[in-house]
Amino acid sequence: MVKIKKTGLNEFIELLMKDYDVYSPADVGKKTAFKKINSAFEIRHDITNTHLSPKDVFFPQSEVLFQYSDDGLKVPQRNEKPIAVWGMRNCDTSSLMMLNKVFGDAHQMPGKDMYKDPYWKMKYDNCLIFNQACNEPLSTCFCNWFDGNPFAEKGADVFVVDTGDHFILEGVSDKGNAFLAKYKSGEEATKADLDKIAELKKTAESYLPDVIDIKPLFAKMNKIWDEPIWEEISTKCINCGACTFVCSTCHCFDVTDEGKGKKGKRIRLWDSCMFQIFTREASGHNPRGLSTQRVRQRIMHKYNYFMDNYEQHLCTGCGRCVQVCPVNLDIREVIKQVLDYKLSKNEDN
Amino acid sequence: MQKLVNKVKEIIKNKEVDVVIGWGKGSLPFSATPIFVETEEDAKKLIFDETSRNNLTTYLTKDKRRISKDYKKIGIVVKGCDSRSVVLYAVENQIKRENVVLIGVPCNGVFERKKIIQLAEGKEILDFQIKGEKIILKGRNFEQTHSLKEVLCDSCLTCQYPDAPEHDYFIGTPRKEVNVPEAYKVINEFGEKSAEERWAYIQEEYSKCIRCYACRNVCPSCYCPECFVDQNDPQWIGKTPEVTDSIIFHLIRNLHVAGRCVDCGACVSACPVDLDLRIMSKKVEKEIKERFDYTAGTDINEKPAMASYCENEKQDFIMG
Repeated sequence: MVKIKKTGLNEFIELLMKDYDVYSPADVGKKTAFKKINSAFEIRHDITNTHLSPKDVFFPQSEVLFQYSDDGLKVPQRNEKPIAVWGMRNCDTSSLMMLNKVFGDAHQMPGKDMYKDPYWKMKYDNCLIFNQACNEPLSTCFCNWFDGNPFAEKGADVFVVDTGDHFILEGVSDKGNAFLAKYKSGEEATKADLDKIAELKKTAESYLPDVIDIKPLFAKMNKIWDEPIWEEISTKCINCGACTFVCSTCHCFDVTDEGKGKKGKRIRLWDSCMFQIFTREASGHNPRGLSTQRVRQRIMHKYNYFMDNYEQHLCTGCGRCVQVCPVNLDIREVIKQVLDYKLSKNEDN
Repeated sequence: MQKLVNKVKEIIKNKEVDVVIGWGKGSLPFSATPIFVETEEDAKKLIFDETSRNNLTTYLTKDKRRISKDYKKIGIVVKGCDSRSVVLYAVENQIKRENVVLIGVPCNGVFERKKIIQLAEGKEILDFQIKGEKIILKGRNFEQTHSLKEVLCDSCLTCQYPDAPEHDYFIGTPRKEVNVPEAYKVINEFGEKSAEERWAYIQEEYSKCIRCYACRNVCPSCYCPECFVDQNDPQWIGKTPEVTDSIIFHLIRNLHVAGRCVDCGACVSACPVDLDLRIMSKKVEKEIKERFDYTAGTDINEKPAMASYCENEKQDFIMG
């Protein structure tokens, strides 16, 4: 373990910047997001979760897939350094691992050649993740419902704890250890530091909500697709895309062409199942024309369909959607509502 | 509060309405949440206070909602701005005024949650207490006191109609129109800057837009069955969050709600990236007021500014 004085962090970040493009929580207007930084002084250490999620670093809201002209197609290559992200939280890191199942290498089915997205892979495959412990989880955090923990190291290359005046860094992966070995100015962490970390962990866990048993959620959802519960849940939803765009795991996208004459580009951009245009067909028919159907789709995708495909829920309990929803449609309450729901039909049918 | 609950119970009992849309306690300390009350029992959940941010009238017109499908007569709890939205709907033939029952509530302004988040500078506020003109914000290990004005919506600070000018019932006694001498102060100051400075500000601000359309979807005046940004044959606007396209979206939305915006501030509160949306909408409101002497949602018998014509109107903006 390496101990770095907070006041000396810039030296560490400068070393990191030699090998990597460094992203971290930073101010973007009046909000916070993961942004490419040029010095440690831009890092917002004082916040827990950024307002916008880090998925944008690896899966940008809009990304050029190729450009075309008389000279043919040009696919963008990544010539920059690999990406390092400082200040990720356990929920953030978990969400990237989920997205890596969809776009990257993490999910393989025996005998099946799974699609791997080159645009994701060229950013994610060589990245270095610094996962920072959450000393003070927010009141909207519920990572503990999904096996998360404010002090979990899972998925990180380096695990970071803020102990007040210092950061304690622990290599988790080979990649993480290899980088830490390059840094010579750090001190060694002491027994007192380890005690402090244990104490911080205990305090952080005490801030989390009571754990609810979400194991029955998947099976319950298999049975409620055509139940009236969706009308109850969705009545107040206004079908904006705020929840899906701040969500660290929502990854539906649209593909659009922008061009003039013989020149142009094809772009992939975030889409939202909340929009009525999302499923509108060329004929004009829309299989999800109603708000209720769209809300059901989002919730089912998170807690049922993704489970079907990848054996986990597509939610890390980061609480960003809870923070931004203009009508306070709180996903924690939706989960409880589904779990408590009594089926209107006989279960055997 | 009890008076509100009693009134709603009474009109449900008398079958004056099938449902009452109001605010209930939300899951976050500064947000109430819309609730749909169908029974006398459920009426007990109704609240009205500084957290009652939403303009609930947006549920009256939005296309294909359960609410407009299932209910013949709808009761709705309204602040001043919300009642003006209902007037707008009636004027624009979106609803029949006699099909809605308006329960006016006395409004002293509602919280802008994002201002509170800003004031906390990264720390989390978990609770609050109002003491006269002050508000005490409480976190895990700290408290900070601010003037109430610092945490109210900008639109509340310049509101001239806090007490539902249009209503069927009113909880308490409605105040008359309030005089706000500096309603357009921010707009006037912005207008004094050079064109370059203004353009730079607008570009910087709208480059942050993520095109989630929360502003449009909460807006009571935005009720087109199909928004121009959702049309793709022809496609009017690029779909990426490229600043030029985002500015076009906001400009056109503002022109679509010109003379129709009631300045409820719902768009500002809903924006997840905190855009200064009012810099455009308030300017348009001011222009409409000065040119056509029209304020949206204040007179149910007056034709909308954009649907009427007078020979002596100034037309300098058409041919320069």
